[in-house]
Parts: sequence; C-alpha cells; structure tokens
Amino acid sequence: MNDPAKGPELMERPPAGWPSGEIASLYEEHSRAIYYLALRFLADPQKAEDATHDVFLKAFRKLDQFRHEASARTWLYRIAINHCQNLQQSWHNRHVTANSDDAIWEHSAASTDSPLRALETKELGQRIQQTLDRLSEEYRLLLLLVADQELSYDQIAALVGQSTDAVRGKLHRARKTFAVLFAQTA
Amino acid sequence: MKHRSKLSPEQQHAEQQSAAQVNQQQGAREFATAEEMLGFDASQTTVPPQIAERLKQSIAAIAPPPRRSWWQNLLGK
Repeated sequence: MNDPAKGPELMERPPAGWPSGEIASLYEEHSRAIYYLALRFLADPQKAEDATHDVFLKAFRKLDQFRHEASARTWLYRIAINHCQNLQQSWHNRHVTANSDDAIWEHSAASTDSPLRALETKELGQRIQQTLDRLSEEYRLLLLLVADQELSYDQIAALVGQSTDAVRGKLHRARKTFAVLFAQTA
Repeated sequence: MKHRSKLSPEQQHAEQQSAAQVNQQQGAREFATAEEMLGFDASQTTVPPQIAERLKQSIAAIAPPPRRSWWQNLLGK
C-alpha cells in the first residue's frame, strides 16, 4: 500500500502511455474496485465504463486533494459514489432493469476461466445484478462497500455519512434482504 | 483486512440463516454471506482495457505541456 502521507508511489517514469505516474499507480491498484462498484451500482456495463473513466479523470484533476487523504481507496470511492449517485439522479432511472443481453455480461467473467466456470460466473453475475437492482440504493451501496475487504466499518460509515452503529444495523438488514431476493432469482 | 467488530449472537444466528439461504440457492458454489458472494463476483470482474486507453488520452489532453527551460526561453526556441 502506498504511503498515505505521500500519496501513491511516485514512479520515476510513468508506465508506457501514461502521462502521469501517480494516476497510473492509482488506476492499477484501484480500477477493479471502482469499476465493480460502478458496474453493480449502475447496472449497465457501458455506463460503468464511462463512470470509471470519469472518476479517475476527476481524481487526476484533484490529485492535490488526495495528498491530504488517509486512504486512496476511500478517496476514490467517495468520488465514485458521488459520481454514480449524480448519474442516477440525472438519468431518472433509480429502478434500472438489468439488461439481459448475454453479450453485455461476458466481460464480467475473467478471460482465464474455463467455459464451465465462465458460464457459472456469468449466471451468478446476472443473479447478483437482479438482486441488487431490487434493493434500495442505500442497501445496495452498503453491500458493495462491505464486500471490499480493504474497507473497515468506520470507513464505510464515513463514506455513507452515517455512524458505524447505524451502518452495522443496516448491513444486517441488507444481508437478510439480499438473501431473500437472491433466492427468488433461482 | 481491517478490523471489523463482531456481530452479536442474535445477529450471527440471523447471518447464518441468511447464508444458508444463499448457499442453498447457489448450488455448486457456496458463499457464507452476501458480501462474500459480491467479493467473489468482483474478483471475477475484468476491467475493460479500453477504459485505461481512454483515460490516458483524456489525461494527455489536459495535462500541462512540459516546461521550457530558461535557456529555451532566452533563445526563443
């Protein structure tokens, strides 16, 4: 992990094609987490792609702010959450229905997986998305954040602007709701 | 993983029930909790490579040009 006081590790030279070593480091380390949050929150791979691009572009423009943050991960999540929530509001699509086109979901399965595993993972991804789509935005976001093992409850609480106890209680209900809704997708 | 407080016995019991429901439905692949399932899903998710390419181009377009050295300014190069 990078030294939070200094920000992402400075590369002497940015990797090939990257104009900035700092943003290259941030992208390498956190892009999967940010893309996954956007993908499952927005329920649309194309929007998730655009959102991930926009989040890291905003991060690049605000690198000075990052240097005062304790954690790059939470800083990027904060940008991503604000961005995704703004998109949801502007699109008036709080009740998004996941696109059932199989081709859209194919890139969610790792390319190294065997066909059987890929099929299984694709089905799991579709069921997860169907379940998340039926959850409230608040529960969906909490579950997506708690799924990231790098975040503590305190960090999640700070990200959603609630107390740690409130988050713990809501997560308890969110897990139960998720389990019930997931069972209905079978 | 950073520390997370343990659940109360009641919450743990409820968690186990929830997990059992998830397990039952999942079949071949079992997950103890919703977040474990989501964590697995995240680990299987591939970030489309075109995002990095778009980002590089966007940053290059807004990044300030390299500074001219004093002698370049002096000589007007």
